Amino acid sequence: MKQMQRFCQNWHRALALFWLTSVVVAALLATSTVLVPDLLHTASPPFLSPHWLGTDPQGFDVAYALLQGARTILYVSIPAAALTLLLGGALGSAAGYWSNTGLRVARSWWIASGLLVAGCIGLATQLYAAFLVTSGSLLTGCGLIGWLLHQSTWGRRPWAFPIDALIAGLIVLLDSIPLLVLVLVVAAIQQPSAGGLVLLMTLTCWTTPARLMRAATLRTRELAHVEAARAAGLSDWQVLRRHIWPLTWPVVMLRLPLTIALLIGLETTLSFLGVGLPPETPSWGRLLAGIRQSPAAWWLILWPGAALVLTTLSLHQLSRKKQ
Amino acid sequence: MLVWASVGLSACSPTSSGTTTENIRIHWARDPENLDPLRVDNPSSFEVTNLLHCSLLRGNEAMLDIVPWLAESAPVTRLLGDSLQFVTYRLRPEATWDNGSPILAQDVAFTLKVMNAPGLPIERSQATFGFIRDIQLDKQDPRRFTLVCAGQSADRAKISGDFSILPEYALDPQGSLRSVSLPAIGKSGTQPAVQKFVQRYAALDLARHPERLPGCGPYTLKSWQPGRYLTLRRKAHWWADTLPTPPAELQAFPSQLTYQVIPDAATATLALRRGELDVYAMMPATQFSRLQQSASDKEKLRFYTADSYEFLTVNFNVRRPMLRDALTRQALSHLLNVPALIKATQQGVATPSVGLISPRIKAYYHDSLPLLTFSPTQATTLLGRAKWQRQPDGSWQRPGTGNTPERLQLTISYRAGEPSFETVALQFRSAAAALGIPVQLVAAEQSRLSQQLRAGQFDLAIRNLAGNPFSYDFTPLLHSQGIGVGNMTGFSSPLTDQLIEEIVVATDPAQKARLLRKFQLVMAYERPFTVLYFSKYRIAASRRLGELPVTGLMPGYEAHRIQLPTEASLQ
Repeated sequence: MKQMQRFCQNWHRALALFWLTSVVVAALLATSTVLVPDLLHTASPPFLSPHWLGTDPQGFDVAYALLQGARTILYVSIPAAALTLLLGGALGSAAGYWSNTGLRVARSWWIASGLLVAGCIGLATQLYAAFLVTSGSLLTGCGLIGWLLHQSTWGRRPWAFPIDALIAGLIVLLDSIPLLVLVLVVAAIQQPSAGGLVLLMTLTCWTTPARLMRAATLRTRELAHVEAARAAGLSDWQVLRRHIWPLTWPVVMLRLPLTIALLIGLETTLSFLGVGLPPETPSWGRLLAGIRQSPAAWWLILWPGAALVLTTLSLHQLSRKKQ
Repeated sequence: MLVWASVGLSACSPTSSGTTTENIRIHWARDPENLDPLRVDNPSSFEVTNLLHCSLLRGNEAMLDIVPWLAESAPVTRLLGDSLQFVTYRLRPEATWDNGSPILAQDVAFTLKVMNAPGLPIERSQATFGFIRDIQLDKQDPRRFTLVCAGQSADRAKISGDFSILPEYALDPQGSLRSVSLPAIGKSGTQPAVQKFVQRYAALDLARHPERLPGCGPYTLKSWQPGRYLTLRRKAHWWADTLPTPPAELQAFPSQLTYQVIPDAATATLALRRGELDVYAMMPATQFSRLQQSASDKEKLRFYTADSYEFLTVNFNVRRPMLRDALTRQALSHLLNVPALIKATQQGVATPSVGLISPRIKAYYHDSLPLLTFSPTQATTLLGRAKWQRQPDGSWQRPGTGNTPERLQLTISYRAGEPSFETVALQFRSAAAALGIPVQLVAAEQSRLSQQLRAGQFDLAIRNLAGNPFSYDFTPLLHSQGIGVGNMTGFSSPLTDQLIEEIVVATDPAQKARLLRKFQLVMAYERPFTVLYFSKYRIAASRRLGELPVTGLMPGYEAHRIQLPTEASLQ
């Protein structure tokens, strides 16, 4: 029975790997030239030459659009997932390792940082108009004040930086707003470029990896060998790099396939709603959105929908295996 | 999952929501944005303004002419010298303001002074009605007056009555502008009376609060949520109700009109099918045809089409150095595949045109000019003539100002949610990419797009323009006076300015035809915008309404004449 179960699991995993490899190969092989719409065959059904998977309402070949959509996934969702894990992992590590008292910063730099934040808020208009000059002046001014204060004993005395509370607060704040609503609001204000979309998804999806990483770090930092490393006088950076991350990163890496699946879904939803990537960037979500113009064109649901479901299921399968 | 859920929901059978029979719900693709009668600059604000206010004359497509509206009859014209004419009107004796006071010549004089008051947004009024030099009030008859107009053409006389009449009693109850004559007001920016009036007018913020200005039209503003909806309520006692047999222009049947702003065509179609809209004009051809073929939709909807004077254009921002020369604009125009676009976006039902005169107006249409052809080869040749050189990497460059080379790379802006605009943009992009010209699509929400167009922040822009068969004054659209007002491309030249001025003052039809043909010839060379086609109005309306009064004039229907079906028609 166990063998049968194992065989099934292996078989599922092989299928998942095969599909994901196919998507990556298709993305890499997809033509990078701008597709030419066939305006004489708009919303044309599949299984007819030369558009074997049909065309969308703009006359684009669905097969080519699927391939180019796969490339968009490769260039948008995967970098966004990697950045999400990096950002979440870094913040979670910091919160877990230093907690609310471990990170101590001299008063001088506290005051300089506070002034910098206040200056940014107060001079927001000028920052927008002349970013380089204003930001340069602000940084120089605040840096100088910080340096001057640092010359005094009072200025050098440290204050604890409550990094754990701050990050926990940010996580609660971001998690309290539904992800889609948050991303939609930001994307609706200014239609993002591909890079902008990666940034937007990164800045909104880092909370789960951060929470995982924080929990793993909290557990790991109490281990004997970490205590020993600290006692031996290793710097925080060395402790983190050599003794904590090797144990905590696998926890976050487990999350990678699921994060990619989440971001593919998010990008598809945004493109479907018309607030995602620019209109000229092919994506599975845009293909799906074609159904709103041609409700009878079932092939606009079937092909991109199947590709989306298979990709998501495959990523989930990989994640399960890792667990 | 959300995508699938949305698709599932959109595929569900439409259900009818509760409606009141007295409220007619009409689809708008865009919000009017501002309802100051001095700044009417889009179809939605034009439609509302014509329901809140009346002008002296109004276009009537059935009669192919301008007909009296607030005026009692067509104006009487009399020529003066070789460059002026007197246009005499008399106002309808029944016409009154909401407070019961009569609408008098003094109100017309007041309106003209407002349209000339420095400090107010009068650029559009000046570009269109700047030829009205003075007004003479009849001392015996307070309803009679004479406009002194520059130019002696019949067009000028017709246009002279096409502005909303404003109430003096509401805007200037002290009559402070009466002491200032019309010719003097334009030069009297420093006069305290005018300055105080301008401040009062600006403080009213009519762009956002049109309810502060009582009009003499049949409707008042009930509510307006910008970007969502606008509701007009029929006045209980409108002056034209006393007419025994009011003409079509003075009929107003619906007790309430609600305009729903739904920019996305697919969403609007869904709303119509669900019974949440009664009228959807300018429906995309594919959706229209699909509904026509659906048995369930045919039971609930009626379908109308009308030849329109609305045309789709691709506008070039000639302020951009790369688009400053006509040859580049011509070259880029050859990348538009008009026949294929008509097939794809209009189901083949649209009329290509050589320019901005409709091919239906045979007397003035320049049928000897060739229609635009899709020819990348010709585009390449023209780009070469415009001194663009193909680089080894496939891009195009030419020497720019100083030592900086100019690169040919474009953005094309259009209103988001309109499938035909997107199809045009994507077709152009693919044709341009084949030649090595990178094109970036910018799909913007309408109000943002309008801002960008006004500010000249675009390279190419796709937009609909509408004309009419009554007057041929292209001043707001293409004259140097119209730059920043209606002339979004920024194009003007001494020759076209002169032609536009000559056309509006031409008295002889043959001369006018000759000038219009020459104008089309010049525009076909200069191409500040390229006309793709004149479209049909496709209107779907709920069967709960009676026969929809359809017209070829913008917006394609007469909202004030929509009626519920009579018992006889139901039988």
